[in-house]
Amino acid sequence: MKQPEDFLPLSQATYYILLSLRVKRHGYGIMQDVEEISQSEVKMGPGTLYGALGKLEKQQVIQKVTVESDERRKYYDLTELGKQVLQKEYIRLRSLVNNATDIIERLEVEEDGY
Amino acid sequence: MAIRKFRLFLASGLEKEEQWLTAMSAKGLHMKKYKLGFYTFEEDKNKAFVYQIDFQRIATDDYIQLYEDAGWNYVDQSIGLFHYFRTDASNESVPKIYSDYESVVESYKGMLRFYMILFAILLLSQLGGLLTWKWGGLQIFTMSLTGAVVVLYIYMLIALKRKINFYKRN
Repeated sequence: MKQPEDFLPLSQATYYILLSLRVKRHGYGIMQDVEEISQSEVKMGPGTLYGALGKLEKQQVIQKVTVESDERRKYYDLTELGKQVLQKEYIRLRSLVNNATDIIERLEVEEDGY
Repeated sequence: MAIRKFRLFLASGLEKEEQWLTAMSAKGLHMKKYKLGFYTFEEDKNKAFVYQIDFQRIATDDYIQLYEDAGWNYVDQSIGLFHYFRTDASNESVPKIYSDYESVVESYKGMLRFYMILFAILLLSQLGGLLTWKWGGLQIFTMSLTGAVVVLYIYMLIALKRKINFYKRN
């Protein structure tokens, strides 16, 4: 069994897909949500998304959910493993930022000095 | 009025094919059907589409539905592997099918794997002919034909590999 750490670091696309699957969604729902939570920074193409969903499902990070009222679309949500992967990635990213904060602030002060 | 044109593109020339179809559409000729190198176009000077071709081994209903939802309308397919989509050229909010280099690389890798297997099958199927080699007009003819196909395959496989390397560097 793969550990959550084995999936890190996540690609930008994967990170946002997992964030959007905090609730069950179909593909286009993911695309819309990703655009919203990334503040329009990430506009994902359907091919990129389709490939990522297939891969993530195989890795058991996400799972298919049946929605009987909509047979043409596939719905997904996070598995327990998926939630852990997302949390670990968040902690990793936060510590990357935290560790750099002081250094970056000092860089900015020096730049202002010139 | 429908217009037919014949063109051959290799799998490694997918982007050239997309550009050609998009350029034709800008001139008012919109591809509707594909069959064995024959493209059927519908004429309408008031429209323009952007075409994209996607390599996908299993095209299920939900696959097509996702692309349609995203603004890419399904046009046709070739040998069940290459799927033609188009979107209105004026609609700039529709993202490209592959929105990052990683997924472009993944798609080309899938293509490369597929054609490597076909190539291996081709070579194995010709072994019998080589082992029972007899000099004769027919045998020389079929073997040179096979040889030409092998050269074409090698060219395409190298081109695909180069595309993968190109997109990996980005």
